Amino acid sequence: MNLTFLASSVLQAIAVLFQFAAAIFALKLIRVTGKWTSWILIAGAFCLMAIRRSLSLWDLLSGNPDGFISSLDLLDSIFALAISALMLAGVLSISPLFQAIKQATETLRRAKDDLEIQVTQRTMELRDANVHLSVELDERRKAERQLAQYAEELTRSNAELEQFAYVASHDLQEPLRMVASFTQLLGKRYRGKLDQDADEFIGFAVDGATRMQRLINDLLAYSRVGTRAKSFQFTDCNIVFRQTRDNLAKAIEDSGAIIFQDPLPTVEGDEMQLMQLFQNLVANAIKFRGAEPPQIQVSAKQKGTEWVFAVKDNGIGIAPEHQERIFSIFQRLHQRSEYPGTGIGLAICKKIVERHGGRIWVQSQSGNGSTFYFSIPKGKQ
Amino acid sequence: MKGIPKAACRPIEILMVEDNPGDVRLTVEALKEAKVRNNFHTVEDGVEAMAYLRRQGPYAEAPRPDLVLLDLNLPKKNGREVLAEIKEDPELRRIPVVILTVSQAEQDILKSYNLHANCYITKPVDLDQFLEVVKSIENFWLTVVMLPPR
Repeated sequence: MNLTFLASSVLQAIAVLFQFAAAIFALKLIRVTGKWTSWILIAGAFCLMAIRRSLSLWDLLSGNPDGFISSLDLLDSIFALAISALMLAGVLSISPLFQAIKQATETLRRAKDDLEIQVTQRTMELRDANVHLSVELDERRKAERQLAQYAEELTRSNAELEQFAYVASHDLQEPLRMVASFTQLLGKRYRGKLDQDADEFIGFAVDGATRMQRLINDLLAYSRVGTRAKSFQFTDCNIVFRQTRDNLAKAIEDSGAIIFQDPLPTVEGDEMQLMQLFQNLVANAIKFRGAEPPQIQVSAKQKGTEWVFAVKDNGIGIAPEHQERIFSIFQRLHQRSEYPGTGIGLAICKKIVERHGGRIWVQSQSGNGSTFYFSIPKGKQ
Repeated sequence: MKGIPKAACRPIEILMVEDNPGDVRLTVEALKEAKVRNNFHTVEDGVEAMAYLRRQGPYAEAPRPDLVLLDLNLPKKNGREVLAEIKEDPELRRIPVVILTVSQAEQDILKSYNLHANCYITKPVDLDQFLEVVKSIENFWLTVVMLPPR
């Protein structure tokens, strides 16, 4: 009897503690989840349960069977109803929270799945890209190899060209020199001693051999633009042009040519070749002069990233239909008896200008003088 | 002893090393008008040239030349090798060697002088100039300069 009493009292006291603790924890959850009405309702329910249990414990301990609870059955019923109502209201009002949690979890899971799919997809794309990249790399390597091969071929063909130049200068000139020398010797020794035909034939032979020598020499000069080229230096065109005038002093004096020279720029180029370029153009201006003494104007203008040089003369001019042709090798517009020469000068000019990364062209009307233009990139100064 | 008194005692011996008979003939033609009495000898390649200079084989009786006209492009042994051998030989090195070639290549000129060529002449393309050059060689080397005694 005594033991039962004791156990019941202790168990009820613990129940009271648990109920208060539950109420406090419920209130604490407000901070974490919001939903404060739900938690207050639930906490209220726990409090009421604890109060009711305390009253019944009080009854038990005081030994008064007609204490608060048992004597007033109505109070107990009210407590039970209030607790149930608060519990119901609390649970109902908190249920959206779990709904939300469930939804959030669902969304999270879906997001994770999506993410996994995306990762897989990206991985596959990356693998594809890698494959593509390695194919591209292979292609690039192949292209590089091909480029190296082309460069090698170019080097080889340049070497062959140089070899050709040497062959042309030595092996080809040697027999030609013999033909020319002995026909000349024949002419010297036997002119007038054979008949008129013989003199004429010898004349043609000498003329042909001499001309061929000149052609070979010109061809050599043309090929040397590439093979004997020097690297580019900053070159003051005023100095180059002064040298050109010195070189042509005799032709200038003989023709009575007047040369006007504007200030010229400094460009990156091969000094010797630039001099040859000016020299060929000015020599042409003197050679193809009209009835008047030649007047030659040399100038240069900046145009974008280039210098455009102009050599203007008052000579016989060039008909528009011939203006393209004159820059090709061995192209002539006149009879040899009118104007001598093999037709190499402008071809060399073109090769020199192109080696410097520029262009050469002419503006002219037949009988109205010509202006030769050429451009040289300004380079980095 | 002084240098050889020219023309006075004996003819000058000239050796031309040249594989082109045309050039040999042109040189002979030019030398026909020479003021100095000369004996003109020719060999056609570098091996023969060295045999001649060292008096070997058929050239045992050959006179020591006073002047060598040497082409650079020769069969068997080229002119550069001949020049080098002459200038390395204490017996032959004092013989003046005139390089007479068609080559205008800078490296040929430089190499020849480095090998102690006495002068370097490019064969002129024009006949009159060629004759003139041979006459200048003759005039300079056979009358102007003092050659070493043999």
